[in-house]
Amino acid sequence: MADGMINLTIDGAPVSVPPGTLVIEAAKQAGVLVPHYCYHPGLPVAGVCRMCLVEIEKAPKLQIACATTVTEGMVVKTQTAPSKSARQSVLELLLINHPLDCPICDQAGECELQDFVFQEGRDGTRYGEYAKRFNPVEDFGPDVLYVPNRCILCTRCVRFMEDVAKEPVLNVSERGDRAFIGIHPEARLDHPWAGNVVDLCPVGSLLSKDFLHKARAWELDKTASICTGCSQGCNITLDTRDEVVVRVRPRPNLEVNRYFICDHGRMHYKWMNRGDRIEAPLIRRDGELKATDWDEALDRVAGILRGASGTAVALVSPGASSEALALAKRLLSGFSWTGAFQVVMGEEAPLPGVPNLALRAERAPNAKGAENLGYSRDYARALEAAKTAAVVLVLDDPDCAVEASGALIYLGSVLGADAPCRRADVILPIANVAEEEGTFTNCDGRDQRYYQAKPAPGMAQPAAWVLGELTAALGLAELTR
Amino acid sequence: MAIGVKVMKRPTQQTSYLRATLKGMALTFSHLLRPKVTMQYPEEKSSKDWTLSSRWRGTHRMLTDEQGRAKCVACGLCPQICPANCIKLVPGEDEAGHRYPLIYEIDEFRCIFCGYCQEVCPEEAIHVGVHYENSEYSRDRFVYDLERLTAQTHPVSTLWDPSDPKGE
Repeated sequence: MADGMINLTIDGAPVSVPPGTLVIEAAKQAGVLVPHYCYHPGLPVAGVCRMCLVEIEKAPKLQIACATTVTEGMVVKTQTAPSKSARQSVLELLLINHPLDCPICDQAGECELQDFVFQEGRDGTRYGEYAKRFNPVEDFGPDVLYVPNRCILCTRCVRFMEDVAKEPVLNVSERGDRAFIGIHPEARLDHPWAGNVVDLCPVGSLLSKDFLHKARAWELDKTASICTGCSQGCNITLDTRDEVVVRVRPRPNLEVNRYFICDHGRMHYKWMNRGDRIEAPLIRRDGELKATDWDEALDRVAGILRGASGTAVALVSPGASSEALALAKRLLSGFSWTGAFQVVMGEEAPLPGVPNLALRAERAPNAKGAENLGYSRDYARALEAAKTAAVVLVLDDPDCAVEASGALIYLGSVLGADAPCRRADVILPIANVAEEEGTFTNCDGRDQRYYQAKPAPGMAQPAAWVLGELTAALGLAELTR
Repeated sequence: MAIGVKVMKRPTQQTSYLRATLKGMALTFSHLLRPKVTMQYPEEKSSKDWTLSSRWRGTHRMLTDEQGRAKCVACGLCPQICPANCIKLVPGEDEAGHRYPLIYEIDEFRCIFCGYCQEVCPEEAIHVGVHYENSEYSRDRFVYDLERLTAQTHPVSTLWDPSDPKGE
């Protein structure tokens, strides 16, 4: 075992952790989940829920695992009778005023209270004759509802707003069994990162209005993905039901976004479910766009590229995967080549409690990746060059105001009825980010992979597949960079 | 005739059918005098000797509350448990903030009448019914919507004996 490490035993399993580690974190290493509510690795320790009581040898009383640091030779027991009965008592007290409305609660299925009560709670209540406390539902902010009856007062939301968002608008109001989470009377929970309190809430007390009654937790399929809202590249999980993305949740990555995502990213999924998609390859025949199959469409593009020479311009989306961008560049490598992209800019919104985490002003996931591959930010000049270029390739940029005298090839998932790219010679349908696998490079140059969450509509294929087929057809597949 | 067939000579009382016929007719006519057991369906649907079991599982019925609204809170447990995947449910929220089913449909053709939906329902809203007369003039009438499910009046199944819920 390494020097400077502390050795201890948890439920009979030897663990070696750095000094200062909390018992609850050391237990995770031993494969033991100590039940807890108020503790969250992204928040300061509060020790208010008393759920993580464990037995530690030579300690006179049970200790809370979330606020006890490890010491050499410590022996921790989580499954002994005293700690089990302590947890059972805590659960019984939490349930005195809990409405048990799991059938209508959005958290049901991913609720920690439900899980732990099912795991080791009492069979019945001993408080049946007392009426439960009732408080009406409160509207906290643009996307947050507070249901006080379900609240277990773990204060995760209070600590998030105070210590991570640094906008302390929430508090614990009143005392004892009347306590509830209060909001400043003149404030709203409208911080750009406030949506995280919904994820942090271990029960169904803080709810997302966007997700309210939309799906049950057990119906969701979860796919690892990368947020496309900005160039930060937060790790997210796309929750899909029946091949529709219904929710975006943060996926912990300590190097990038820790446990959080901003509200912009959280709401930035509806376009993935668009119904007005291009579903078949379209080629121009007798002046009109006609649907065709992939073989003919790819032959047509390959023919155009073989027949043309001189300059080529690629107008790409900074939301395209690095694979697609690299292949587009390779496809045009026989020409005198210009590539450019444009990024929608917005307001930067940092999360003060986490260094180097913000909703970036650049609202595109792969601008850095495009830049690394040699695409320029000078979109206006590329548009100018496109006017005289022999070949113009537009990659997933439906609003591109291109005027091309040469051949125009459009790869995209959507295209308006009177968009300039409707004049293209060939339109190829591609999958969007939720329908393909690929890589984004975030603003710090970190390459991150995202995975397919749902099938692409119709005949749409990932852009990397389309461009890969074309480079192979042109004999450029073996070309080294 | 190439093959000679030997014909046995029997006494008349062995070859006459008269006796056996009379015996059979005597049994037949004796039934006229016995108690009747045929139930006159559809005029008569149950008798003191025979009724549908209270645990019969037939087409569904949704129970309603005092205001006449379906008791369902759209928790999603019945479509989840349904082995035949015959329940369609879309949850919504009414003006008072209560969760209720916007769409609740049961495809009775697809249903296998296992009764799991009734067993899993936390609100005792959806029930399988003690009912078997389901004929319709078109197939699409067999997808029962919420309005139709709440309008049913037949008794609901008890699924288990209330005095012995565990079947011991």
